[in-house]
Amino acid sequence: MLIKASTIAVLLVVSGVTIGFSVGGNLSGPAQPIAFSHKIHAGDNQIGCLYCHTYARRSTVAGVPSVQLCMGCHRNVGQDKPEVQKLAAYWDQRVSIPWTRVYDMPDFVYFSHKRHVLKNVACQACHGPVQTMETVKKVGTLDMARCVNCHIQNNASIDCLTCHK
Amino acid sequence: MGNGIKRRDFLKIVGASSATAALVGCGEEPPEKLIPYLVPPENIIPGVATWYATVCRECPAGCGMVLRTREGRAVKAEGNSFHPVNRGKLCARGQASLQGLYNPDRIREPLVRKEGQFHPVSWNDAEARVAQALADLRRKEQSGSIAFMTSQLGGTLDRLTREWMTALGSDRRITYEPFSYEWLRAANKMTFGRDAIPTYDLEASKLIVSFGADFLETWLSPVAYARGLSAMRQYDGGQIGSFAYIGPRLSMTGANADQWIGTTPGTEVFVALGMLHLILAEKLGSELPGNERTELANLARPYKPDHVARVTGVSPEKLAQLARAFATETPSLALGTGVGAVTSNAAPTSIAINLLNYAVGNIGKTVRYGPDSAQTGLSTYDQVLALTEDMKQGKISVLFCYESNPVFSLPKSVGFEAALEGVPLVVSLSSYPDETMAAAADIVLPSHNFLEAWGDYSPAPGVYGLMQPVMTPLFETRAVGDTLLSLARRVRPDGSELQWPSFHDYLRHHWQAMQQELAPDMLFETFWEKALGQGGVWQDIESTDVQLIPEVFRTDFNPPALLGEEASLYLHLYPSLRLYDGRDANRSWLQELPDPMTNIVWDNWAEINRETAATLGVTEGDVVELTSPVGSIEIPVHVSDTIRADVVAVPLGQGHRDFGRYAAGRGPNPLDLLPAGSEPASTGVPYGSVRVRLIRTGKRHELVSTAGSVTQGKREIARAITLSELAAGGHPVAQPEVPQMYPTHDHPEHRWGMSIDLNACTGCSACTVACYAENNIAIVGKENVAQGRHMSWLQVQRYFEVDERKPDVRFVPMLCQQCDSAPCEPVCPVYATYHNAEGLNAQVYNRCVGTRYCSNNCPYKVRSFNWFEYEWPDPLQLQLNPDVSVRSKGVMEKCTFCVQRIREGKDRAKDENLPVQDGEIVPACAQTCPTQAIVFGDLQDPGSKVAELARDPRRYRVLEELNTQPAVTYLKKIKLEALLSKIISRT
Repeated sequence: MLIKASTIAVLLVVSGVTIGFSVGGNLSGPAQPIAFSHKIHAGDNQIGCLYCHTYARRSTVAGVPSVQLCMGCHRNVGQDKPEVQKLAAYWDQRVSIPWTRVYDMPDFVYFSHKRHVLKNVACQACHGPVQTMETVKKVGTLDMARCVNCHIQNNASIDCLTCHK
Repeated sequence: MGNGIKRRDFLKIVGASSATAALVGCGEEPPEKLIPYLVPPENIIPGVATWYATVCRECPAGCGMVLRTREGRAVKAEGNSFHPVNRGKLCARGQASLQGLYNPDRIREPLVRKEGQFHPVSWNDAEARVAQALADLRRKEQSGSIAFMTSQLGGTLDRLTREWMTALGSDRRITYEPFSYEWLRAANKMTFGRDAIPTYDLEASKLIVSFGADFLETWLSPVAYARGLSAMRQYDGGQIGSFAYIGPRLSMTGANADQWIGTTPGTEVFVALGMLHLILAEKLGSELPGNERTELANLARPYKPDHVARVTGVSPEKLAQLARAFATETPSLALGTGVGAVTSNAAPTSIAINLLNYAVGNIGKTVRYGPDSAQTGLSTYDQVLALTEDMKQGKISVLFCYESNPVFSLPKSVGFEAALEGVPLVVSLSSYPDETMAAAADIVLPSHNFLEAWGDYSPAPGVYGLMQPVMTPLFETRAVGDTLLSLARRVRPDGSELQWPSFHDYLRHHWQAMQQELAPDMLFETFWEKALGQGGVWQDIESTDVQLIPEVFRTDFNPPALLGEEASLYLHLYPSLRLYDGRDANRSWLQELPDPMTNIVWDNWAEINRETAATLGVTEGDVVELTSPVGSIEIPVHVSDTIRADVVAVPLGQGHRDFGRYAAGRGPNPLDLLPAGSEPASTGVPYGSVRVRLIRTGKRHELVSTAGSVTQGKREIARAITLSELAAGGHPVAQPEVPQMYPTHDHPEHRWGMSIDLNACTGCSACTVACYAENNIAIVGKENVAQGRHMSWLQVQRYFEVDERKPDVRFVPMLCQQCDSAPCEPVCPVYATYHNAEGLNAQVYNRCVGTRYCSNNCPYKVRSFNWFEYEWPDPLQLQLNPDVSVRSKGVMEKCTFCVQRIREGKDRAKDENLPVQDGEIVPACAQTCPTQAIVFGDLQDPGSKVAELARDPRRYRVLEELNTQPAVTYLKKIKLEALLSKIISRT
């Protein structure tokens, strides 16, 4: 019997076999050095995701905003708030903020934010309603089943080499 | 299982424990940190490569280079396609320059020697000590006793070192290159009155005769010459250019020739003179002015074919054939002499070669003066010896050494190491723990690698390459120019000279002068930006006419004066394609790269002929003692059929005592056998000047070669076709209808394929190193290679055809054939390897469980298995390509046609909303191939180059009879029936 690559992928997903990795387990958000609220920024103030995650439409990685970018606004906004003061302290000491990673793709996965953003896949499709989150937490797991299911639904390639590098 | 554990119980325990291991392995890892930029750097987008142009400084050829950087670190070196020398290509050593930058044995901070040990010290303290010593000498008016030794620096740095020395009050500025080509300059001066090395146009030549010049390996500018040779040997209108190689050993360059004429070292001169005699006696050659023909005929008269046959062993028929071909197939080109032939008569030999070129009218056509090579700035060997003598006599107070390692690269008999004891202060500016530093440096001021520094390099007039730092320096090192300027400030605080804040300012100042000259209408900033972007500026240089100077007719052509017993073997030392003069020995890619001819890795060896070995009773791997009148070494023997029976050949480059973990302890240094060569006519390190006695020691040292066999047997892996067969339409290609067991694959969009032209492949192995760099391939070490655990995805296999006329050496780059009906695929129990819709045999690393069935079933043996977790000693891990997974223990890996580049190419095409264009996606091997033997593309696109080559009359596929349907098409090597076959085929 000849089994096509696509069939293999489907079989593996259907049978619930997830090989290799899962970014799963703890679904509550980790503690962060600054209690940054996506709800205030992306929700209440309607700041677009790409305003801070500037690389997402240009690169594989979305990028975490530089401290300089944060200070661009917070030089003038909210200086009285303790969390903003923490930010200013980092900036004054010329130290980067040691954020704790929420999503971590394994090193063997090729994932391009650019291709998804330019295809108008909403950020929330993978990251959930971030604009409502005080603390960012994982929504579900970013395992292969989730990727492949979405790719099948959207008629995107499910060749292994599309993502496995 | 005598102790009571039954087989089933044993398996249960093993099963349970491995399950536990698996659980632990798949558990949640602690969260990583995500550190943003404080201020985002300009020009860097994380995840997107940034390219910087610079100049390769691995040898004096000065090829243009571009560096791919990711997140601020260099990950891949490629040729700069704008650069006129190499036009986008690099050799194996150029590819490995990243291992110089990330070398784990680099000196990381300034050091001072106390009681024999090096101790770290601050830059301020280290410089203060040196400055103090220099100031003391000034006060005592002994500044003339300062000496500064470097390799060839070319450009503005060279100018700075000279101005710096002048400012200090000394003129002992020695530029020492072991391969100095001083004999060529001497010969050109004596022939044409020009102390220069001309441009050789191989492409325009119809016949090339190389007198020991290994121009595809190291001789002058190998990348440029490889391109020239492959162009002249391209099949065009029923013809190809021809090539004869004369020398004691068949080098890789010689292996590309149609004819090899074996001569004893130093007698090449008589072959050249014999040819000259015949050309003039038979009234061949070009019109010569005035009495030159008579004078030349008189000069060549003693070298009649019988005489030449007696002294060189070349038969009169062969000589006549060569001479006639050389005179009629014009423009032809005689090159030489090579580095290995430097004896007392190296300059006269090169004069004879000049006269040959002159007599048939090649000067001005294939040999052009004007656009000369930049080897002219070098010191003479005599100056190096004189410095050594002055050091011995205590006349040198301070010696600076930069990128020069004379303790290793000069013959031991010169006594440089002992002479260092007479120098009170030795300052090493080296970034590597070389022998000179280890032996004598008192203070080490480590310099940046060339990839971390500003600079420029001009390999020839009209070619001005600009160098820029491609990344932030890794360690507490400094650009050597900045160190010199800083020392100058300390020593002459009131002086007006050399008051530049940095070498960068000094460089820009001198480029302003260049802009005034080359582009006076342009704004300097525009000129500078343009030069940075394209890697330099170039202008055409007109060639100038040269005439013979009358003294040349009175040249003495003597046999070489060789040291050693009459009856013993000639010692032939030659530059290594992999390690050059030894400066590349601490690079694991190059140590593990099989030598193209012997396929030996990591070691050093003495090559002797099979008959000689039988007579002496030695076999491969027997350790012998080679003894010359000045020294002896113990070295294992490699037995071959491609060396004269009276010669023993040893490659240069190994034999390091220090220099780092990969270099040290890899056999003896053959330079221990050489005399100092200080006779008046010396024109360089006398590499070919001794005879040696060879004695068995009874010891063994296994040499590890990746060659499975010497010949290809009846497998027809490396095929050839004669020129006349090709002119008649080529071999018939049978395309039988073979029934398939499985349905064939659909390739709806692309089917990636490759074509490899064996007529163009020279065996240089640049592709192999490029593949290591691009694909994060692990180094396994000599012991593992011996076990067949070599990880290389692309190996240049070498086969000798013993039954036919020599030389017939075939090089076959062998990589995954991406079969359409791949034997590896159906045997994988976990679908880790499968056929994708674009024709690739995909390998999904994290699905692989390591059964190795695929490798067992692969007829091409191109899969490699990770038997261990291999290491990248710090900071080599920084070179790893982030677009390619690093494979771990237990995983099978193989060539992917650089799928990451395919992915990138398709991504770019999608951004531009265009289909992928032919030639846009280039795998690392094809990218660097100096002869463009490797072509990659889409076989589904009938207009693509690769599809066109797949229909070529020379096409074949390796082991096609197994019905694997490979995506790699090979093109047969073209063989000439004789050197004159073109003439025959024309009539």
